[in-house]
Amino acid sequence: MTGEVLRILLLVLQLGFLALLYLILVGFSRALLRDLRSAEVTQMASQSGIGKLQVVESIGDEPALGTTIALGPINSMGRNVNSTIFIDDDFVSGTHAMLTFRGRSWFIEDQGSTNGTYVNGHRIDRPVALSFGDELTIGRVRMRLER
Amino acid sequence: MHAVSRPLELRLLLPLVILVPLGFAVTHIAQTGVLDPGPMGVAVGYVGLMLGAHLALRLLGNQGDQLLLPCVATIGAIGIIMLNRLPQDLLGTDAFGVQFGMATTQLLWFAIGLSAMVLLAGRFRDDGILRHYKYTWALAGTLLLVITFLFGREVNGARLWIFLGPIGFQPGEAIKVVLVIFIAAYLAEKRTLLADASARFGPLKIPPLPYLLPMIAIFVIVMLVVVVSRDLGTALLFMGIFLTMLFVATGRRSYVLLGMLLFIAGSYVAYNLFGHVRVRVDNWIDPFADPSDRGYQTVQALYAFGRGGLFGEGLGQGLPTISGRLPIPALPTDFIFAAVAEELGLIGAFALLALVMCLVFRGLRTAMLARDDFSAMLAVGLTVSLGLQTLIIAAGNVKLVPLTGITFPFVSYGGSSLLACFVVVGLLLAISHRSVVDAQIEGRGP
Repeated sequence: MTGEVLRILLLVLQLGFLALLYLILVGFSRALLRDLRSAEVTQMASQSGIGKLQVVESIGDEPALGTTIALGPINSMGRNVNSTIFIDDDFVSGTHAMLTFRGRSWFIEDQGSTNGTYVNGHRIDRPVALSFGDELTIGRVRMRLER
Repeated sequence: MHAVSRPLELRLLLPLVILVPLGFAVTHIAQTGVLDPGPMGVAVGYVGLMLGAHLALRLLGNQGDQLLLPCVATIGAIGIIMLNRLPQDLLGTDAFGVQFGMATTQLLWFAIGLSAMVLLAGRFRDDGILRHYKYTWALAGTLLLVITFLFGREVNGARLWIFLGPIGFQPGEAIKVVLVIFIAAYLAEKRTLLADASARFGPLKIPPLPYLLPMIAIFVIVMLVVVVSRDLGTALLFMGIFLTMLFVATGRRSYVLLGMLLFIAGSYVAYNLFGHVRVRVDNWIDPFADPSDRGYQTVQALYAFGRGGLFGEGLGQGLPTISGRLPIPALPTDFIFAAVAEELGLIGAFALLALVMCLVFRGLRTAMLARDDFSAMLAVGLTVSLGLQTLIIAAGNVKLVPLTGITFPFVSYGGSSLLACFVVVGLLLAISHRSVVDAQIEGRGP
């Protein structure tokens, strides 16, 4: 009799263990689902583009330190007010550089500027492919390419 | 560095307070046949460690992913319950004159691993040391591997162990992490060059070899040492990690195709060259050809899966040891998945795999949210190393692929493996923390 009771109790405990394990799994799935839904919302809100520039060093207000510049596929950079990315700095040429997105990657090309374009501190003399996280220096403005 | 709250992590960790002691009690009752929960020291210690790690992460101000730790903790809980249920004197450590049982030893390694994880997650802020010294890392890793090969101790036909006094460890586990760091740093630097290459070789676009050469050279050296030291599971794992990272970095199928062709060719050569490879493959094709000797473990594992069925034999009621010995000698390490499937059945094994999937999902999410290429590649590589390792050993257990001796992450008995897995999670937490903090700074900006 006690053996029988023990066996049933054990079965209940074993089933309880599995049930608890699955309860934990349900908890995980709910957290995952909530996360996916919020990711969808933020993505729709930001219309996440192909990349952006984060200004990490600047002396003036255009562009201001700490701002992010959304990027289209083709961006001209320079002191010319018609540039896609207008940089108001005496050390920057009118048409200074082109930042373009081709295929899967970003490229920067100097447009014959006086003071040069720098990628991670090295002056470039030809179009250079950029990785996310690379830093561009144009005049006295330093910007980081981010996704 | 100020304390933060991690409410989701705590909420998902709390069920373990019941789950682990319940598991310990059930196995003890099932084995002894008396209504007595048995010793609870290891169970309490395990839950305490996990909650302690949660608190430490909060105090150190880590704002990284909150699902990683609970996921790992639940996977590990199944492992420690299984290990505690097996005879404790099978494996264990006899260190400093004190005899530690299997579960106790594993608990100690959990403590060491969690400490490493918390330290990385809380203090590791600058990845420059990983990224700029990539060749140093690769060299150190390779050297360690060679040292192991030359001076290591041979256990079960593979020379993987280095012993320092009573404590042995497997450098192969550390090299897994080092290799991922190296490949991530290399690919992050050269990604665009590799992706835009268009040299042609027949119908295949091939990579510009000069750019790939340093990476391939180091990879080949590592693979050679691993294969010569007969650690085939690790070789397969490295290959998988390497190809996945290459594919993620460049998005080119041709690289993967080329790599797979090379791997198939390599496997064919290895099959003809090494006797132990042939034994493994023959066992895989037909374990019943020699069921009492060479095919013994595989056959016993298949029986275990069969006995388990859909709902399992019941926790603690799997096949008991045969006259003091385990039915499967490598049960606590290579065949722990078979043991879980026998006692918890298909639904238990499924739950375990679902937890690993959740871990992989969160790892890949960390990679997607990472701000720079290196962090993203690192997160991908680390995540894939955990996922692929699980896949290879679980598939080996059910005889889907030839069995290779690697561990089930966080479940199998083994200190080096556990430590390496926790280092992986620690790095993932650090990467995740950085992208969260960066996003906050951006959100506050003008």
